[in-house]
Amino acid sequence: MTKTLKNALLGFVLAGLPGLAWAAPAATKKNDYAIDPAVGWDHLWNELLIDIMVIGVVFGIAAIYMLIKYRATSPDQVGSGPKFSNAQAWAWALIPAAIFMADDFFLSAKGWTLWNVYRRVPDNALEVKLMARQWQWEFDYGQGVVTNELTVPVGRPVVLRMTAEDVIHSFFMPGYRVKEDVMPGRVTYIWFLPNKPGKVVALCTEFCGTAHADMFTDVIAVPEAEFNAWLASKAKKADASPVPANRNS
Amino acid sequence: MANHSASHAGGAHAHHWEISTYPAIVAVGVLFLVPMAFSAWFVYHSLLLTVLFAGIGTPLVLWGVSGWIGEGMSHKALLPGVAVAGLPVFIISEVFIFLSIFASYWMMRLMADVWPPEGTPAMPFGLPIFMTVVLVTSSVTIHIAEEKQEKGDLAGFRSMLMLTIALGLVFLACTIYEYSHLLGIGFVPGTNAFSTVFYSLTGFHASHVLVGAAVFVAVLIPAFSGKTNLTFTKCAGIYWHFVDLVWFFVVSQVYFW
Amino acid sequence: MGALLKEWVFTTDHKRVGILYLIGSIAAFLVAGLMAMLMRLEQSTVGLNIATSPDDYNVWLYFHGAAMILGFLIPGLTGFFANFLIPLQIGARDVAFPRLNSFSVWLFWAGIVVALLTFVIPDKPDVMWTGYPPYSVKTLGNTAFYVFTVHLIGFSSILASINFIVTIIYMRAPGMGWNQMNMFVWCTFGAFIIQLVFVPVLAAAVTMLLFDKYLGTNFFNPAQGGDVLLYQNLFWFYSHPAVYVIFLPAVGILFDVIAAMGKNRVFNYKAAVYGGVFGIVLITGEVWVHHLYVAGMPDWLRIGQMVTTLLISVPVGLLVISLWGSLYRAAITFNTAMMYAAACLFLLLVGGLTGIPLAMTVLTVNLSETAFVHAHFHFVMALFAAFAMFAGVYFWFPKMTGRLADGPLATITFWMNLIGVNITFWPLFIIGFRGMPRRYYDYAMFPEFQPYHQVATVGALITGTAMALMVINWIWAAAKGKKAENGNPWRAKSLEWTHADCPAGPGNFPGPDPKLDADWTPYNYAK
Ligand code: HEA
Ligand code: HEA
Ligand code: CUA
Ligand SMILES: [Cu+2]
Repeated sequence: MTKTLKNALLGFVLAGLPGLAWAAPAATKKNDYAIDPAVGWDHLWNELLIDIMVIGVVFGIAAIYMLIKYRATSPDQVGSGPKFSNAQAWAWALIPAAIFMADDFFLSAKGWTLWNVYRRVPDNALEVKLMARQWQWEFDYGQGVVTNELTVPVGRPVVLRMTAEDVIHSFFMPGYRVKEDVMPGRVTYIWFLPNKPGKVVALCTEFCGTAHADMFTDVIAVPEAEFNAWLASKAKKADASPVPANRNS
Repeated sequence: MANHSASHAGGAHAHHWEISTYPAIVAVGVLFLVPMAFSAWFVYHSLLLTVLFAGIGTPLVLWGVSGWIGEGMSHKALLPGVAVAGLPVFIISEVFIFLSIFASYWMMRLMADVWPPEGTPAMPFGLPIFMTVVLVTSSVTIHIAEEKQEKGDLAGFRSMLMLTIALGLVFLACTIYEYSHLLGIGFVPGTNAFSTVFYSLTGFHASHVLVGAAVFVAVLIPAFSGKTNLTFTKCAGIYWHFVDLVWFFVVSQVYFW
Repeated sequence: MGALLKEWVFTTDHKRVGILYLIGSIAAFLVAGLMAMLMRLEQSTVGLNIATSPDDYNVWLYFHGAAMILGFLIPGLTGFFANFLIPLQIGARDVAFPRLNSFSVWLFWAGIVVALLTFVIPDKPDVMWTGYPPYSVKTLGNTAFYVFTVHLIGFSSILASINFIVTIIYMRAPGMGWNQMNMFVWCTFGAFIIQLVFVPVLAAAVTMLLFDKYLGTNFFNPAQGGDVLLYQNLFWFYSHPAVYVIFLPAVGILFDVIAAMGKNRVFNYKAAVYGGVFGIVLITGEVWVHHLYVAGMPDWLRIGQMVTTLLISVPVGLLVISLWGSLYRAAITFNTAMMYAAACLFLLLVGGLTGIPLAMTVLTVNLSETAFVHAHFHFVMALFAAFAMFAGVYFWFPKMTGRLADGPLATITFWMNLIGVNITFWPLFIIGFRGMPRRYYDYAMFPEFQPYHQVATVGALITGTAMALMVINWIWAAAKGKKAENGNPWRAKSLEWTHADCPAGPGNFPGPDPKLDADWTPYNYAK
């Protein structure tokens, strides 16, 4: 084995190690359930943006520089790009590959960690059933309370158990950085943490026909006490009328 | 490795633009026969349009295919015998079509709570075994036919080829018999997930048997006037062995699992 | 005239078959581009705008997506370029199966005809280019036409793959070893392997769709034991690899253009081929779930395929290193082809790197199915791959027609194109990130996005004008352009330039069969 090849392999290992070093603790870290997934999302997004911007700027500047610098000065001029020995060729393949791989593993580990937060529903979550149909959302809180907007208490995690009647829809709340498909024959779920009172929009993001773009509704976060009062009054009304009040399709 | 058509070796002779009318004719025929006729019948429920499109498409396809085969028999390829290399490549893509149907079957079956689903009658036992024997025998006969052709025994070649075709037809007859029985007791493609897979797999395989037999007929007809093409026969043979092999998977998965 | 027409329609010559592909592919591009203009105009203000009903928009979008991918890029790259260039570049006089080749191109045209029928039939297909059931089964639109478009163009691709895989393996000129092939040949070889293996899966998937809708089978019907997600899995098992069927030949064109215009060897050729091309071929079948991140797949699949998806940046990165490296110590002359190639480098960075957040399962829960995705793939496909195609058309124009298409109009349309597409698609990253969904004719919930949509529309109009002028320029140049004075206007070293005429004639090489030395390469500018 030539010296350069040895160096290349060494470079491969050295470049790969930091990736693993980052990755290992990130993958094993205990998850803090109190964390708000949406906040984690924004944080990870910022890190990722830096990551890809660095790569983009480095390669972009390199391209501009070479496109300007290496213009032909005469029509007969030919290029003099390097011709590699075997070992150099290996080095130029393994080292960049290792660097790219390190970044990939780093991102994987980060992504996986946050993903676990997204998928593990806190025990105290309020459960709401969601039924989608062309072209309407229907939220079922139990006790006969069925609505077309989603009302949730601030500060308490909410989990949606979702299914559809006809075709595939997708429930998307950009404000809470979360979406998941809603389909017939299966139940999917998402959870989120309403952190302050107010309204955000929820939309359908799986093409479901003519009124796909009109299939949106409000998600209203209210203080917990207000929410409880609202739910109780709705439940009372539902008791009075045997048919769910909201079948307005 | 890099070898080249001997017919052109050192060939500085004049070239001209090569043409063939048949491929374009087949393509137009396919356009009418498949998308147009299918849509006319299943989407627009128009008997008139269906008959019209099929009436245009079918003769075009038959004319094109027979003309193409005729050319293929007589023309010299740029690289002689290259079709024998092309066919296995084609078979790779066929393997993946079958695999997708099998994969669908596995996904449905493994996700189901009960299998076979409600409405599935007991599957026959003897018939598939008989069909397997028929198909394996036909693989042997086509192999013998190839050997006879290589030795120049044209009469032997023809009779072995006819035997192979006959076995293929027996196989298809069994399929038709079984289908008519199952359809008769109400087991139709729409009955449940298993019927869907059952008819798709066996039907798709049977269509391959049909195509294989048709290709053999196309080899047989010129053979009566003494015209043969070993490359062509070899390709048809490889295809037939492949269809035979797939049957083992079909039979073991849908009848005996 | 009649004789000439006959010679073209029934041709089995790979160059003419290629040009037939090119004509069909540009036709698909123009009509699909026109649909894009209509969509941009519709989205330029909140509310129903130029469409009379949302269904109009859905039909435009269906046609735009399906025709751009199945009718423009794939046939343009693996139909036109592969046909026209591969036999010339490997020193063969035609492909292995010339009649099959003619059959492929006419099947493709049949597919284009079925696609165009969208505009005249009463129940226009509206299933988007992805055709997901149960919607595509339940819709009143004509899903059959979608299925048959895919079938015809798909089988055309399978036959072409067989033809070219055999041609590349068996028909190279005497003396041409594997490591002496053009990068374009290698990249396209990879693309054909991908097509051979994955197109059949797509064909099977849409066939099941057809059966479910018209014959009442239960593949995708959960009520009868079918699986709703089965179609999506099969579809993306093909359609993710399909993006590399587009990406690889496009990169191959860039390598050949950059090496020839930079008079330089390809930087670390073997790493690009065996690491880059084959790395992609190897991984591409294990990443399809990144299109189903929000479809309720099991977690282990989402995480596993996040890792494989991110790892695609390794083979792509090797190709990038070689591509960039080929500029190092080059002697670059800029013609129109080289300008497009240079622009491609930046478009590749933007498009590829914005694939990285999409590849991360957890970030995708906010970005999937938004305009962010739409900006990502327009950067890689509509900008990067399409620009690479334009680079190739300008570069090999003399080989096709004997004339040059370069000139002031070519330069002007290049700059208009580049500026126009950037104005169109950058705003979509921003609103996509903030929640603008895809496939929306209206965005009443986000009136604040209207200015962004309007900027995008202006950009699209600039692009549309430029594209139309560019095509007019090609047609004009083919008839009246400046003659290429010899067979080799760019003084390139690969076989199609050194051994064939401009335009290349029947039989490809006027002299005896090319024979190559052991140290010959298509890039041996400096010995
Ligand atoms: C030519 C077409 C093309 C190409 C090449 C790509 C390339 C990539 N794409 Fe894209 N993609 C599409 C066409 C394409 N895509 C289309 C059409 C859709 C939408 C389909 C639909 O729903 O209709 C889509 C959608 C899509 C999704 C699904 C989004 C969603 O619907 O939720 C994802 C998710 O992972 C994704 C990821 C990627 C990645 C990781 C790459 C990678 O291959 C990119 C690799 C390139 C780079 C990374 C840049 C260069 C490399 C370097 C400079 C080296 C160093 C880099 C690192 C270490 C990071 N794409
Ligand atoms: C190769 C692929 C490709 C290309 C080149 C393009 C090119 C363009 N695309 Fe497209 N696009 C897709 C592939 C592509 N697209 C896909 C796959 C989808 C997703 C579909 C889906 O969701 O299912 C999509 C979706 C898509 C949308 C999505 C809308 C939505 O989700 O609601 C929009 C909207 O702006 C858009 C715009 C554009 C624009 C402005 C261009 C411009 O670059 C176009 C340039 C303009 C022209 C080419 C016109 C030139 C010609 C004339 C003006 C005259 C015409 C003359 C005659 C016909 C004689 N595209
Ligand atoms: Cu519901 Cu889109
Ligand atoms: Cu993908």
